[in-house]
Amino acid sequence: MADLKVDFAGVPLQNPVLLASGTCNYGQELLPLTDFSRLGGLVTKTITPEPRGGNPPQRIIETAGGMLNAIGLQNPGLEDFVGEKWAFLAGLQTQVVVNIAGFSVDEFALTAARLEELPGIAALEVNISCPNVEAGGDNFATRPETAAAVIAAVKRNSRRPIIAKLTPNVTDITEIARAVVDAGADAVSLINTLVGMAIDVNSQRPILGNITGGLSGPAVKPVALAMVWKVAQAVSVPIMGIGGIATARDALEFIIAGASAVQVGTANFVNPNAGVEVVDGIQAHCDEHGIDQLASLVGSLQT
Amino acid sequence: MIDEQVEVLANDEVAEEFYMARLQAPYIAARAKPGQFVNIQVSTGGAPLLRIPLSVCAIDLDAGWIEVLYENLGPKSEVLSRIGRGVSMACLGPLGNGFAPPPAGARTCLVGGGIGVPPMLYWGSVLQRQNYPVTLLVGARNKGKHLPDELLAPAASVVRRASDDGSLGQAGLVTDLLQEELAGDAPHAVYCCGPHGMMRAVAALCRESAVPCQVSLEEYMACGIGICVGCAVELQPDEQGAAGSDYTRYGRICVDGPVFDARRVKWED
Ligand SMILES: Cc1cc2nc3c(=O)[nH]c(=O)nc-3n(C[C@H](O)[C@H](O)[C@H](O)COP(=O)(O)OP(=O)(O)OC[C@H]3O[C@@H](n4cnc5c(N)ncnc54)[C@H](O)[C@@H]3O)c2cc1C
Ligand SMILES: Cc1cc2nc3c(=O)[nH]c(=O)nc-3n(C[C@H](O)[C@H](O)[C@H](O)COP(=O)(O)O)c2cc1C
Ligand code: FES
Repeated sequence: MADLKVDFAGVPLQNPVLLASGTCNYGQELLPLTDFSRLGGLVTKTITPEPRGGNPPQRIIETAGGMLNAIGLQNPGLEDFVGEKWAFLAGLQTQVVVNIAGFSVDEFALTAARLEELPGIAALEVNISCPNVEAGGDNFATRPETAAAVIAAVKRNSRRPIIAKLTPNVTDITEIARAVVDAGADAVSLINTLVGMAIDVNSQRPILGNITGGLSGPAVKPVALAMVWKVAQAVSVPIMGIGGIATARDALEFIIAGASAVQVGTANFVNPNAGVEVVDGIQAHCDEHGIDQLASLVGSLQT
Repeated sequence: MIDEQVEVLANDEVAEEFYMARLQAPYIAARAKPGQFVNIQVSTGGAPLLRIPLSVCAIDLDAGWIEVLYENLGPKSEVLSRIGRGVSMACLGPLGNGFAPPPAGARTCLVGGGIGVPPMLYWGSVLQRQNYPVTLLVGARNKGKHLPDELLAPAASVVRRASDDGSLGQAGLVTDLLQEELAGDAPHAVYCCGPHGMMRAVAALCRESAVPCQVSLEEYMACGIGICVGCAVELQPDEQGAAGSDYTRYGRICVDGPVFDARRVKWED
C-alpha cells in the first residue's frame, strides 16, 4: 500500500485530504455521514472575534458547473467556539485546522492569541479575504502590504503553523504569496472563491441578497490549478490546493501541480462522503501506478 | 439520516408539469415524519451540480417506498422528471424537523399552495389516521396545476380548492378560503406550506385569530444538512437564542426547520 502521509508545515497528516472551510461547518453535522478518522483533517468555518449573523437570503445559487455563495461569514464568534464548538472538534480522530478572520489587524491578532489556549489545534488557516474596516473596507488579501501585516500579527501571537489562505481575486497571486511567506506564513492555501454574480432577468434584480457572491465548484478548478502551479514556482512553503476538487483525479492534478495537500469544498454539499472517497481514490491510483510515496508526486509536473 | 441509494419505482406526470416519483427507500420510509424532506442527487455528471430538496409526500412502510411530488420548474426538477423506472440515485434523508402534533382532538386546517402541497398530503393522512378532523385548502394558478382528487382525498375529510383564474374551485386565493374557515367553526391548528407571500398572509390571518400556525419554509439549499449555512431565515428578535447573539439572527431552514412556528419567523420583506 502506498504511503499517503504528509508532513504539512510540521502538521502530520495521515493523508493529504482535508475538508475546506465553510463546507463542513464545525464538523458535527457530518458525523453520521462520513468517517473523520479516514481524512487528513478538516478546516473549520471561519471564526471572527464577534458573532456574525451573515448576509440576508438568498445566499446560494447554482451556476454552470458551480455555485455562488454569499453567506457573509455567519459564525458563533470566538468565545462560543472556544467554549462550545471546540469540545466536539477536539474529540475527532483527525487534524483540525481552525480558520480565522477579522476586520482589523488587531482582530486577527486577538483571535490567534486566544486560540493558543486550545492545545489540540493543528494549525491556523488565516482567511485574509475580509474587508479591512480601518482602511475604508479594502480587502486585506488584495494588497501585499495588508496581507503581510495580518500574517505577521498572527505569527507574533501564535506558535502554531500559520496557513495564509489566498484569494484569486487579484492581478498576480504570486505577489501576495511571496508577501505572506516573507511575513512568516508557514504555508499557503488557495484558492478562496472567485467573485461572481447572477441576475434574475424578470425582476432585473440580483439573485443573491448580497448582490455578489463567491464562485466555487468544478467550474473554478482550472483557475485554481493554474494558480497553485504558479505559486508553487514562486514560494518554497507547502501549498494546500483548493478549488473544485470532487474526485481523486482532481486532487492528484493539484498535487502534481505542486500542492502537498488539498481541500474538498463544494463537493461535500453534493456528496457528504466526498472527502473519504477522494482518499480512497488517491490510494487506489498510487497502488495501481506503483507509487510508494505520495509525497514523490508533489510538484512532479513535467513541462 | 443516511445517504440512501434509492431506486425509482415510478415517475409519472400527475398534473400539468407535476410529477410523482415513487422511490424504493426502506431506511427513509421507516423514519420519515410528516414535514421532513429528502435531498436527491439527480445527476452524477455535475449538471445540475446540487441536489434537489423535496418533501416526503407519502410513505409505505411495509413496501419500503417513499413518494415525492414535484413541479418541473428548472434544471434539477427537469432532469428528475426524465429519470425512468429502475434508475438508482443518492437520496439523503430524512432531513429537517417535521410538524409538531396538534393538541388532542383539535380541528386542523392544512393550507397548501403550488409546490407546498406535497408535505400537506403526508401530514393530512397521518392526522386522519390519528382521528383528527382535517380540512385541506389548496391553491393553484389554474385547473391544470391542481392535483387530482384521488391524490388529495386520503389527506383530508374536507378538501377546498381555489384557483387564481377560477377554473377550479373558488376564484381567488387560498387565503380567502382560510379567512372563511377562521370566521366560522375555526380550526385549532393551522399548518401551511407554499409560496413565501402566501405563508406570510396565512401567518398574519392566524395571528389575528389567535390560532397556532406552523409553516414549512423553503429557501434555496445546497447541502440540506446544515453545513453550508445557505438556507437562512430571519427569526424574530425575541427568539434569538439565550444570549441573543447576532449569530442566531438567521436560522438554518434545513436543520432548524423546515417547519417553524409562524410567530418565530420575521416576515417583513
Ligand atoms: C425543504 C424543501 C422542500 C421542498 N419540497 C418540494 C416539493 O415537495 N415539491 C416541489 O416541487 N418542490 C419542493 N421544493 C422546492 C424545490 O426544491 C425547488 O423547486 C427546486 O429545487 C427547483 O430546482 P430546479 O433546478 O428545478 O429549478 P430552479 O431553476 O432552481 O428554480 C426554478 C424556479 O423555482 C424557484 N425556486 C428555486 N428553489 C426554490 C425553493 N427552494 N423554493 C421555492 N422556489 C424555488 C426559483 O426561484 C425559480 O423561479 C422544496 C424545497 C425545500 C427547500
Ligand atoms: C458555502 C461556502 C462557504 C464558504 N465559507 C468559507 C469560510 O467561511 N472561510 C473560508 O476561508 N472559505 C470559505 N469558503 C471557500 C472554500 O473553503 C473554498 O476555498 C472554495 O469554495 C473553493 O473550493 P471548492 O470549489 O472545492 O468549494 C466557502 C465556500 C462555500 C461554497
Ligand atoms: S442547505 Fe446547507 S445549511 Fe441548509
